[in-house]
Amino acid sequence: MRRVFNVLRALLHASVALALQYRIEFVVEGALALLWLAVTLVPLLVVFGNRGAVAGWTFPEMLVVLGWFVALKGVLEGTLSPSLLQVVDHVRKGTLDFVLIKPADAQLLVSFANVEPSRVVDLLGAGGIFVYAFHQIGHPPSPAQIALAAILLCTAILVLYSIAILVVSIAFIAVRVDNLLYLFQSVFDVARWPSTVFRGVLSALFTFVLPLALMTTYPALALLGKLTLQTLFAAVGGSLAFAAIARLIWIASIRRYTSASS
Amino acid sequence: MRVIDAPKAPRLGTPWGVRRFASLYAQLLRTGFAEAVAYRAEFLIWMFSTNMPLVMLAIWAAAARSGPVGGYSQQGFAAYYLCALLVRLMTGAWVVWELTMEIRQGTLALRLLRPIHPLLQWSADNIAAIPMRGVVALPVTAILLWVARGELSHRWFDWLLLLPALAGAWLIYFLVQAIIGTIALRFESAASLFTAWLGFSNILSGYLVPLDLFPRAVRDAAQWLPFRFQLSYPVELMLGRWNHEQALQLLGVEWIYVAFFFLCTRTAWRAGLRYYAAYGG
Amino acid sequence: MIEVSRLRKWYRVHRREPGLWAAMRSLLHRPYEDVKAVDDISFAIGSGERVGFLGPNGAGKTTTLKVLSGLLHPTEGKVSVAGFTPQRRERGFLQQITLVMGQKQQLLWDLPPSETFLLNRAIYDIPKKQYQETVAELTELLELSQLLGKPTRQLSLGERMKCELAVALLHRPRVLFLDEPTIGLDVSMQATVRGFVRAYNERFGATVLLTSHYMEDVAALCPRVMVIDKGRLIYDGSLPELVRRVRPDKRVHVKLSKPVQRADLEALGTVIEHRDAEAVVQVSQEALQHAVARALSALPLTDLTVEDPPLEEVMRDLFAQGRAA
Repeated sequence: MRRVFNVLRALLHASVALALQYRIEFVVEGALALLWLAVTLVPLLVVFGNRGAVAGWTFPEMLVVLGWFVALKGVLEGTLSPSLLQVVDHVRKGTLDFVLIKPADAQLLVSFANVEPSRVVDLLGAGGIFVYAFHQIGHPPSPAQIALAAILLCTAILVLYSIAILVVSIAFIAVRVDNLLYLFQSVFDVARWPSTVFRGVLSALFTFVLPLALMTTYPALALLGKLTLQTLFAAVGGSLAFAAIARLIWIASIRRYTSASS
Repeated sequence: MRVIDAPKAPRLGTPWGVRRFASLYAQLLRTGFAEAVAYRAEFLIWMFSTNMPLVMLAIWAAAARSGPVGGYSQQGFAAYYLCALLVRLMTGAWVVWELTMEIRQGTLALRLLRPIHPLLQWSADNIAAIPMRGVVALPVTAILLWVARGELSHRWFDWLLLLPALAGAWLIYFLVQAIIGTIALRFESAASLFTAWLGFSNILSGYLVPLDLFPRAVRDAAQWLPFRFQLSYPVELMLGRWNHEQALQLLGVEWIYVAFFFLCTRTAWRAGLRYYAAYGG
Repeated sequence: MIEVSRLRKWYRVHRREPGLWAAMRSLLHRPYEDVKAVDDISFAIGSGERVGFLGPNGAGKTTTLKVLSGLLHPTEGKVSVAGFTPQRRERGFLQQITLVMGQKQQLLWDLPPSETFLLNRAIYDIPKKQYQETVAELTELLELSQLLGKPTRQLSLGERMKCELAVALLHRPRVLFLDEPTIGLDVSMQATVRGFVRAYNERFGATVLLTSHYMEDVAALCPRVMVIDKGRLIYDGSLPELVRRVRPDKRVHVKLSKPVQRADLEALGTVIEHRDAEAVVQVSQEALQHAVARALSALPLTDLTVEDPPLEEVMRDLFAQGRAA
């Protein structure tokens, strides 16, 4: 375990060293992240400009959902995507062998290979959104609600991570697949609205097939104190199952890569 | 230190006859089409990634469940966003990514050795991909007609103007990308500049929110900025917002912008090449 | 240290003709063929040995190396390296081996090599003292002190290769797999790499397996060679012995003070080169003494040397024989 921690720390160290090398770009990326935050907020501001509640959610409540969206997007685009895209690169260049020959779990090595520290702005922005939203609501969330939200944040990240691993496992079969990860990133935009915005087929799609709406809705419900125990268990159980499936598929892909490639 | 004279940038267009240029461009189109077919999987996935209008439609449709918002009913929103999606699909450009990548990898030098302007090939690539884009645009059009036919303009004049409007929108997008890409000849952070442009354009072009739903100050500012002509103007035409005169006037403004960006591209390219030949390569 | 018994590695490759019709047909029926990359190879290598794999492109050298390092699974046969089954990729196994591939690198591109050192240190769990000692030694042996602080992309190809070697050896592996390590390097850098590998082997007793196209690599480094052609092991022994078996002829290289007739040279043996001031004649082992004596007495010599034919030609002959067989 200590070893895993050391490896993670070393990977993060390398990413930060790289970011600090290009200092100007680091600042510019941070500023752009702020701009994008503003752009993300604009539609919501306009929608609620002359409406009190939409699909059963008030403005501050929707802000909470949006806050989680911003945070998760930061995690996705700040570390999951760039790291896993490197796997595709490795397969293309033939350097995946270097990863496989190391005495550390390949999945661990590739998952955090590339962290973009400027995306921490997204996390800070999410925090700012939460502060504002709860200011509007009038009272802050209770510690229990915060704890619950933290658990659901972890399940959300786990699901996000598992989807990314699944997509990248396809890279072992069809190399030109970094597109699929971009596709997923853009489909993820659906998660900026709470799940009740969607009706019918779309609702079913985004709840069971690609649980996107839940990734932001559930933590928001938790923070707002509206989460049922049933939902909590379903979310945690579901995400653990999903992660297990993704891990199995990753291992199978690696095995296939080592037995089939030249 | 004497700056080595940059190779004269081949003029955008022709020192040869029109005929020769036409046959050259036809070949470029053919090559571009072959490439689009070869990369069709990536292309289709890229097209499907353009789903922001649908995401926005979701929230507006939910908001309009209990009644129209700012003059848009649920159908109205559907019409707007599906038209926006169509316009975006048909006028997309990616030359900024090609240009910055080639500069970074050093392969731009090879292109510059050829007797035609690199932008010609890239523009041909883009245009030749229209059939590919049509593949995704067709079902969107079908859905548009099925769901919100009533919202679309009944005037043939609007649809006549749509063609030059789309062409202008594409040109503005392409030329702006070319300018930003050319900046990469000198400054590394061109990609960031483009991201910033995208950010402003998303708001001020009506991509995220119909322009007439913004507060007055934003609306007035957006009227005259080039972003509006990238998306909102063609959509306005499709929805029959303007009469003959107004539509023509706006088309005129759009093409003034096209001419402006065309000139900027030429200047930027010349300046960029001069710098590139002296320091980079 | 390394034991390989009846190793076979096949790939199933699907054949597909180009065209739309063939693409549709392939949905129903996909003809395939089995490519035998490695076809029944057996050998054993002891600890501390330096062994070279020679063979034409596509012979199966790299495949064998990858099977030994656990990157590929054998289709049939038993493989054992340092007491482990490579295929299982156990941590104990991976700690003891290293892989260096020419033209491919594990160094992080935009960062200085020292950063990759730190990363590998964490991955291989190298204790601080040992790490510092190893880095100091490698820096001295390879003359890296000016290089470690510069981003990898700013280093020349040769400098990068030296740093690659250092990174690969940071954890003091007992088995070194080197796949075309000198490819693309200039002559002096090739010599540096060879010298370093030899020094490392002599100092730490590590086992070295090397594949290469360059005969000098193998000649300079490997007392023992294995020749692989079309997936089969066609020779396993010392290099001089190989030369003797395949091309027992010697080359007599003479320098002349004045031009001679071609017929005079042909009396010695087969004329390979004939210029005014020098000539090369190929002579069989048995006739060598006689030919040399004759040259010394009959020709106006300023110099005479006896050499083996160039290794390239030996190998070419060897593979030609293999194809004829």
